[in-house]
Amino acid sequence: MKQFQTIFGFELKSYFKNKIFLGITIFFMVLIAAVMFFPQISSLFKNGDSTKKESVLLVATKNSEDKEVVETLFTDAFPKDEIRMVDNDWDSIKKQIEDESVDGAFVLDNLTTYTYYVNNLTLSDNNTAIVDQALQKAYQLKTLQEKGMSETDASQLLVNNIVHTTKNLGKDQITNFFYTYIMIFALYMVILLYGQMVATNVASEKDSRAMELLITSAKPTSMMFGKVLASCLAGLTQIVCIFGSAFLFYQINQNSWGDNPIIASLFRIPAELLVYMIIFFVLGFLVYAFLFSAVGSLASKVEDINTSSMPVTLLFVAGFMIVIFSMTNGNVDSLLMKVCSFVPFTSPMAMFTRLAMSKVATYEIILSISILVVSAISIGILSAKIYRVGVLLYGNKPKFLSVLKSVWRA
Amino acid sequence: MQLELREIHKSFGEKEVLKGISLKTESGSALGILGRNGAGKTTSIRILLDVFSANSGEVLLDGRPINRETVRFGYLPEERGLYPKKKIADQLQYFAQLKGMSKKDAAKAADAWLNKLGMHEYKEKKLETLSKGNQQKIQLITAVIHNPDIVILDEPFSGLDPVNAMMLEEVVKEEMQKGKIVLFSSHQMNYIEEFCDNIAILNDGQIVLQGKLAEIKHDYSRDKLVIRSQECDAIMQKYADCCDKTGEAELLMHLSSPEVKQQRMAELSQQFDLDELKVYEPKLSDIFVEYAGTKE
Repeated sequence: MKQFQTIFGFELKSYFKNKIFLGITIFFMVLIAAVMFFPQISSLFKNGDSTKKESVLLVATKNSEDKEVVETLFTDAFPKDEIRMVDNDWDSIKKQIEDESVDGAFVLDNLTTYTYYVNNLTLSDNNTAIVDQALQKAYQLKTLQEKGMSETDASQLLVNNIVHTTKNLGKDQITNFFYTYIMIFALYMVILLYGQMVATNVASEKDSRAMELLITSAKPTSMMFGKVLASCLAGLTQIVCIFGSAFLFYQINQNSWGDNPIIASLFRIPAELLVYMIIFFVLGFLVYAFLFSAVGSLASKVEDINTSSMPVTLLFVAGFMIVIFSMTNGNVDSLLMKVCSFVPFTSPMAMFTRLAMSKVATYEIILSISILVVSAISIGILSAKIYRVGVLLYGNKPKFLSVLKSVWRA
Repeated sequence: MQLELREIHKSFGEKEVLKGISLKTESGSALGILGRNGAGKTTSIRILLDVFSANSGEVLLDGRPINRETVRFGYLPEERGLYPKKKIADQLQYFAQLKGMSKKDAAKAADAWLNKLGMHEYKEKKLETLSKGNQQKIQLITAVIHNPDIVILDEPFSGLDPVNAMMLEEVVKEEMQKGKIVLFSSHQMNYIEEFCDNIAILNDGQIVLQGKLAEIKHDYSRDKLVIRSQECDAIMQKYADCCDKTGEAELLMHLSSPEVKQQRMAELSQQFDLDELKVYEPKLSDIFVEYAGTKE
């Protein structure tokens, strides 16, 4: 136990002194701070004149009779922008667009046909959709009036909206999607990153031959469990720092974000889900970290780690892809997801996703966690045996079957 | 204390690496384990250190199975290596703590050893910034920092310059004077001859020769003569089938048996003008070559 404590302390200290570990943690905290403070920062760069319009749009109509109707229509459709009615002078319009003194121009042939001119069409430009909707409404109004309906009746007919209410008896997948996605992604990143770090750590000890001395100074089980649990705690600390800073910065800037539904939903994660996240993070981490440390012990050089750890990485990525595709398809209770919820290599992500986005029976949760606990212990014991044999193997990469034979004999 | 490996057998798969080896050594003396590459030296050491378990046989201390919880081992592996990116003080303390020392005692012992070997100024430096010789000193400190009962040194002098070799010699002698059991594994016969009272030669997983070095040398067949003369060519002509030229005016004569020694010496003295004639004193390397098969 004393050896385990010494190794655990040494490894943990190494993580906390590691520049990459500190760099990644600080980078994410700064990034989150920048996002959370964005409304306040962006308001600093805004002009003090609150009446200033966001953009300037030119509108020209070939039919002078429509000019008054069109002006009203565009002013209503773009309340935040400045609408300038101009003559249909193509050279003048083109010049103003090209020298960026205006943001765009609409030239209407009639109320159903127009051309939109813009210097650089951006992905977020939805001006044509707004104009299409406004013109369609104007056309419908005009047609109804021509058919004999009064302006008031026609307007009422067109503005009549359907009112509906949704009563959700389970979980709101739309609201939960964002935080579930972020948490699954964090789980994926941390397990993969730290798993690789554990494997590299073991391989570099073999590569530098420090293992020769270590193996005669400490029990292999103490060495492996010390390393894995230290990396688990380091990963958990990193998650707490990043998520904790996000929560703190949100609290500071809550008023600035107003009622933004996506941001608000991210910080309304139920407490029980956070507890489940820690449980599945720790157990999932242990399963993969044990596998990665066994893989690391079989590599003779640090450069071999990527190829040696490929099967474990692929297994993990496959589980991640299944979960992400099921989430985006809104299919978190599919048979595949249910099966994955009980397979120890996929259950940390699959069961957690189902818990976050669906209703799961208590017995299923208990069963999934129990399988994961038993698997983590079994994989830990097997990995410790592989580790004991693997750390003394140098030269060519050993075949998996010969390693298993050696483990059996050990 | 008396350390004994008794009838140790070890196989890896189909290959039998140790075929019932037995060794004995005592406090205050050093045992030199010799053998060609692959003879079983490192496997024997790893069994002693409990890295491998033997298929059969026992490791005994004072006649009883060794208790690895109470006996402290110090090991300098043949394949040197520590953490290149970590500070010297941190690594020394870490290894001392792994071997049972408290954090405070480990820090004190690290300071004392660094001072003793003139390395204190490097305490806060990373290992990779040190020269190879200084890295070897740090490696040696990790082997003895926890005041071990049994010190195992696998090729301790390889790669050392003469100054560092002398420093290591002093440390080893001190450990022996303190009554530690010292085990040496080396290909450098001169060091074995200097330090070891007892030797064991391993060949193909078996002990082929074991005992006190002085007795082994004494009993070694004295069937060669060293001849120094200006008439080497004439001697070579007469005894062409049993003479080797070893220098400009020096020959080594192989005798058919030690019994003919006196007769041949008288013969040579009468027939040739000799500067020197003496019985050849065997070196450890000669003994090693004879028993282990090939000159290293």
